[in-house]
Amino acid sequence: MTFENSWLFPVIESIHVTGLAAFVGTIVLGDLHTLGAIPKVGPLTRWTHAGLAVMLATGAAMFFSDTSRYLHNPAFHVKFAILLVALAAHFTLRRRGTRFTAILSLILWSSVVVAARAIADFDV
Amino acid sequence: MFNPVLEVARFLQDTSLRLELSQSTWTVPIIGAIHVLTIAWFGGSILVPNSQLRRFRWIGLAILLCTGFLLFWSQPLRLYYSQFFRAKVLLLVLISLCAFLPSRFARLGFWGSLVLWAGVILASRGIAYR
Repeated sequence: MTFENSWLFPVIESIHVTGLAAFVGTIVLGDLHTLGAIPKVGPLTRWTHAGLAVMLATGAAMFFSDTSRYLHNPAFHVKFAILLVALAAHFTLRRRGTRFTAILSLILWSSVVVAARAIADFDV
Repeated sequence: MFNPVLEVARFLQDTSLRLELSQSTWTVPIIGAIHVLTIAWFGGSILVPNSQLRRFRWIGLAILLCTGFLLFWSQPLRLYYSQFFRAKVLLLVLISLCAFLPSRFARLGFWGSLVLWAGVILASRGIAYR
């Protein structure tokens, strides 16, 4: 039984999506607050970082379960490239808390999610 | 025996929209992407128990319901027979019941629905497989 065919893969994938809700969800809240769309809520950092840790761990597990699937998938290339930029921006630019960095953060993370969702559509 | 849910699924299955949705290359992936994107939008807002986020939360829920309904429309019979889809609907019903808990159970309702939402995501991913 390969890892891919067992019940483990869907379960890890689900935990990845749950991490997404916490990670990107709290980032969206922070960005929308910066843009003045919603009142200040928080503290959020704990949830953001917990979500990130969960996503990195489960993401790595899925990647290493079938490296060739991901390395040959164009959607994964796009996702990974934007992910690196988004992570870099998250820990540097976003700290400034300006309108520009908030919009940038929203666009980058949304693109990562959309590209990630597309991985399943671009399986060769 | 007359089964109203199955009848609705059969009716949707025979519509021309179902055919268009399931045959189009991009429609279902795009709706699916919006659906997942809204999970992020909605997920954050339920983690933070702040009543000022109510409108924000309802908008997320509305988008989830609309895109979810369209995704259901793209393959109604398959989903009707999917055990995972049934589990997901059951969990969603339980979550809506949490909203009617008396206010002294607010904490239980908050953590209960968080766990149930995690279950919804688990069941949803399962649908893709079975």
